[in-house]
Amino acid sequence: MNRSLFMGGIPGTMSRRGFLRACAIATAAMGLPMEMVPKVAEAASDPKRPSVVWLHFQECTGCSESLLRASHPDIATLILDLISLDYHETLSAAAGKQAEENLEKAIERGNYVLVVEGGIPLKDGGVYCKIAGKTAVDILKRAAEKALAIIAIGTCAAYGGVQAAKPNPTGAVGVSDIIKDKPIINVPGCPPNPHNFLSTVLYFLTFKKLPPTDKFGRPLFAYGRKIHDHCERRPHFDEGRFVEQFGDVGHRLGFCLYKVGCKGPETYSNCPVIRFNDVEVWPVSVGNGCYGCTEPNFWDTMTPFHKRLPNVKIPGAGEGIQASAGKIGKAALGVTAAAVAIHAGVGIAKRLATGSKSEE
Amino acid sequence: MAVYEKKYVWGILLRLFHWTFALSIFTLVVTGLYIHWPWTNTWLEGSHQFTMATMRWIHFIAGMLFTCAVLARLYLWFFGNKYEKVWDFLPITGRNIKNLFSTLLYYAYLTDHHEERLGHNALAGTAYFFTILLAIVQFITGFYLLYPENSFFVSLGSIFGTQQEARFIHYILNWYFAWFALVHIYIVVWNDIKHPEGLISSIFDGFKFAKKEQ
Repeated sequence: MNRSLFMGGIPGTMSRRGFLRACAIATAAMGLPMEMVPKVAEAASDPKRPSVVWLHFQECTGCSESLLRASHPDIATLILDLISLDYHETLSAAAGKQAEENLEKAIERGNYVLVVEGGIPLKDGGVYCKIAGKTAVDILKRAAEKALAIIAIGTCAAYGGVQAAKPNPTGAVGVSDIIKDKPIINVPGCPPNPHNFLSTVLYFLTFKKLPPTDKFGRPLFAYGRKIHDHCERRPHFDEGRFVEQFGDVGHRLGFCLYKVGCKGPETYSNCPVIRFNDVEVWPVSVGNGCYGCTEPNFWDTMTPFHKRLPNVKIPGAGEGIQASAGKIGKAALGVTAAAVAIHAGVGIAKRLATGSKSEE
Repeated sequence: MAVYEKKYVWGILLRLFHWTFALSIFTLVVTGLYIHWPWTNTWLEGSHQFTMATMRWIHFIAGMLFTCAVLARLYLWFFGNKYEKVWDFLPITGRNIKNLFSTLLYYAYLTDHHEERLGHNALAGTAYFFTILLAIVQFITGFYLLYPENSFFVSLGSIFGTQQEARFIHYILNWYFAWFALVHIYIVVWNDIKHPEGLISSIFDGFKFAKKEQ
């Protein structure tokens, strides 16, 4: 998407047209019919903006970064206009004591959406992540009490992420391992696609409830299908055309990355459809396989990242359907030629033996 | 009481053609319809099931066998036995033209007269002739779709227009073959019930039964 489509005349603002366009994209991403766009736009332009408390724990701020970075200011503007962001450590102007006061006030007011970014360590009383002298797990429990719903953004908040990888020295877990009595939705990814986060927020604002999810708590509209089934390189997989090693001829021709470790066949996400950034790219489109970052424990289950997934059978008896069928076709043609030759040979021999055409 | 004698009609190559043709048509129609409408796509695709790829693979292999069968039949049109040759059953002789119309009347229950003949009747023969021609169209369009970068198949397939036009013809003919198989089986069974010539068994062992001339 061209960012100028979203931008208003004044830098940092958004045009009405751009606003509606972003709402239409979010509506489509949610899998809702186009008739819902006015409803979504209405919810998005409601002057009573929902309060949002955004907590950071064991993380790299990459999720916030991917959401807010300058490459798509439209999405960031929309999110920041949609919600009243009462507490966000990296974005808030306040710091130190003032910032903590803001958090306390927001929690006391209640009725906010809690967004969590980062894993929560539990080992040794949770001492491995502390903010303002309080442990991450205490802050989360306190903030979750009065939250309407919780959105766990990124794989760390959803499932523990990189710090939960073996041997998990800090005992890190995701939000849903601690909080059990609140509606929680996971928007995993490392980082997750900002469109998916936006769509989840808009869904909540429009319908006042969280969207339907799969067994890992991910919204189905974004994580309902496998990357492999929407991948633009999928025909190469079916035809048995693979990148054997990075930089080879197949790589330059854009063949399938499965053999150099693409985890697309076992990863649920809409990356091939929704893509990232203004230039509409995603890992596979730039020649690197999927790492499976939307899956729980992908640091353990999807590594080594550049080794092929076991138990994935290449169609066409392992050599690609076209090549395999071509080989069988040539053999069949040979058998046919032999059968015809035998038929003709027998006919000629009979004629020679009987010396006449009387057989016919 | 009529006396019948056993007559060898269908050679082994023709019978091989018939069964390869029949089984490949069944496979091609089923997989072809799946490729046209992949109805399991939302719940079978993924890491361990590549249904579309498997269906296409089977379709391609069956298509190759289908092509080989058609080529064998074309050879038999000219070098087969008396009953297998194309001019035995095409309505190009007075006898066959007469037989074509009498068979039509006979099938429509308008006459009880039936010409006993060992090979194809002229109606069946004409239908088979055009079916083989359509089979040639089918495998040319099929190879055109399978090898879109092969200059030979592309120049050959371009007779039928663009890839999309060829795909449309290929799809319509898929239905033709499904329809042909049903009609063929119905008429064969109908004939087998009405006549003691052993029509169905002849495609297994090659023998038919004809009234012995006394």
